[in-house]
Amino acid sequence: MIFEIGLALVLIALGGLISAKLRFSVIPFYILIGMAVGPHAMELWHFDFRFIDSAPFIDFMGRIGVLFLLFYLGLEFSVGRLIKSGRSIAVGGSIYIGINFTLGLMLGFFSGFPLAETLIIAGITTISSSAIVAKVLVDLKRTANAETEMILGIIMFEDVFLAVYISILSGFVLSDSSSIGGVLLSALVSLGFMLAVIILGRKAVPYLNKWLRIRSNELFALVIFGALFLVAGFSETIHVAEAIGALLVGLVLAETEHAKRIEHLIMPFRDFFGAIFFFSFGLSIDPMSLGGSAIWLALAAVIVTLIGNFSAGMLAGRTASLSPKASANIGLTIVSRGEFSIIMANLGKDGGLMEILQPFSAIYVLILAILGPLLTKQSKSIFTFLNRWIKFKDRKPGIQKEEAL
Amino acid sequence: MDIRESVLPGIGMKYVMDTASGDRMVVVIHDDGRRELYHFSYEDLDQSISMVTLEDPEARQLAALVGGMTYKPKQLERVEMAFDELTIEWYRIEPHYGCTGKTIGELNIRQNAGVSVIALLDKRNGKQVNPGPEAVLNAEATVVAIGEREQQKRFKQILMNGSG
Repeated sequence: MIFEIGLALVLIALGGLISAKLRFSVIPFYILIGMAVGPHAMELWHFDFRFIDSAPFIDFMGRIGVLFLLFYLGLEFSVGRLIKSGRSIAVGGSIYIGINFTLGLMLGFFSGFPLAETLIIAGITTISSSAIVAKVLVDLKRTANAETEMILGIIMFEDVFLAVYISILSGFVLSDSSSIGGVLLSALVSLGFMLAVIILGRKAVPYLNKWLRIRSNELFALVIFGALFLVAGFSETIHVAEAIGALLVGLVLAETEHAKRIEHLIMPFRDFFGAIFFFSFGLSIDPMSLGGSAIWLALAAVIVTLIGNFSAGMLAGRTASLSPKASANIGLTIVSRGEFSIIMANLGKDGGLMEILQPFSAIYVLILAILGPLLTKQSKSIFTFLNRWIKFKDRKPGIQKEEAL
Repeated sequence: MDIRESVLPGIGMKYVMDTASGDRMVVVIHDDGRRELYHFSYEDLDQSISMVTLEDPEARQLAALVGGMTYKPKQLERVEMAFDELTIEWYRIEPHYGCTGKTIGELNIRQNAGVSVIALLDKRNGKQVNPGPEAVLNAEATVVAIGEREQQKRFKQILMNGSG
């Protein structure tokens, strides 16, 4: 058992090393490595690449990875920052969510999916990967550009959307009842639970500040992890996705004076279990199931996402009076998909929805996790190319003009 | 001068400064302590011309250099520090100046010029902070005086002519 886990970790590390060598995002490589092995793979001498005994355990570690990812998201998030971010970002974020969520819903609807599956597909296609976007911006030395605030602002908006959306959707998908009343009730329960934790958490901040003044790092870690798992586990018992529980704990702790210390504590765990999360997702996918309708659906979704994100970026950039070139950068940067799309797909799996969602999201994420950073890198030439067909009128700083889109 | 500050969630802080010379300078402070300095030309604000990455100790060192903390101007003839109307100026006494060899009291500097001598740097006597009327102005010394611009002009005349 330990041997199998060790083998898995070595494979994950290998994937990471290869991606670092090729200067790609690690996420698609973790997934690909996971897909390459699994029940369909072979047993070589002592090395069992089928991971049959350890599969439940790897799956469990991946689940912990989701908790850490969402917990960290909550920790990083600050309501004050969102309010301070300004009107143009609020407008840009709303434009982005509005366009892309609608397109996602239409895609699901016109492909003939039932409502629950459609909602999951819209979730998968709407939410960018914060991890990839932030890393690409830093790697490509784009942080100083004028459009960076807008990009990160949109990402922040997506995070809020994700939190609210998962909580509603988990009530909808995970509830046992089939009547509309029952579904509404469980969606209300999960929203109410969120609000209750946030309000109580705000009130508890002074006490938390006092209680968390723990000198010993070991005890500090135990207390934090205890709170995280307890709340996450409890939320599952009332049909709220455990990920939301983790997010809420993060949101509450972010307001305390210990937020920085917790961030430092959590980061290595998030990275470690996060990597296993992507691997276990790959493991759960049989490469043979990728053919057929899943591929076409994923390709259609990729095209819809590209168009939706690009036009949302152009519009958002225009409202913030950025140049067309900077606006093009917005759309071409936020197309990367990753962790949150997979979390969405897993929510569908937990709710026992159609199985096509898994291979669909795998192909979709793989394409956009690789294509996204490439598009970001080449945004300049793509803009020049597009500019030849569609004339984006250049705007002199300070003078507002119409733009052909 | 206007410096715009913004938070980059998950990355750090960003400061944008448009200089009087027409360039745009952007400083990004990453949460991990790295600093990045970007230079944009005002003609194309979409694409930076050059950038430098600094580690935390390097950035602090550079800040001290730019802030003038490590290099003290010893031999400069005139260094101006402006406090609205009041300025502090440094004068080097050339050998041909009329004031060489005379004392501050003899020249009656405060009465005649209005400035106040706050320091005298001399190779022979070393540094004298707040020198008294008996202090001698030797050739090659540096006098630091505080006063308004008009008074500084008169002081310069006194130094060169040797009398009020």
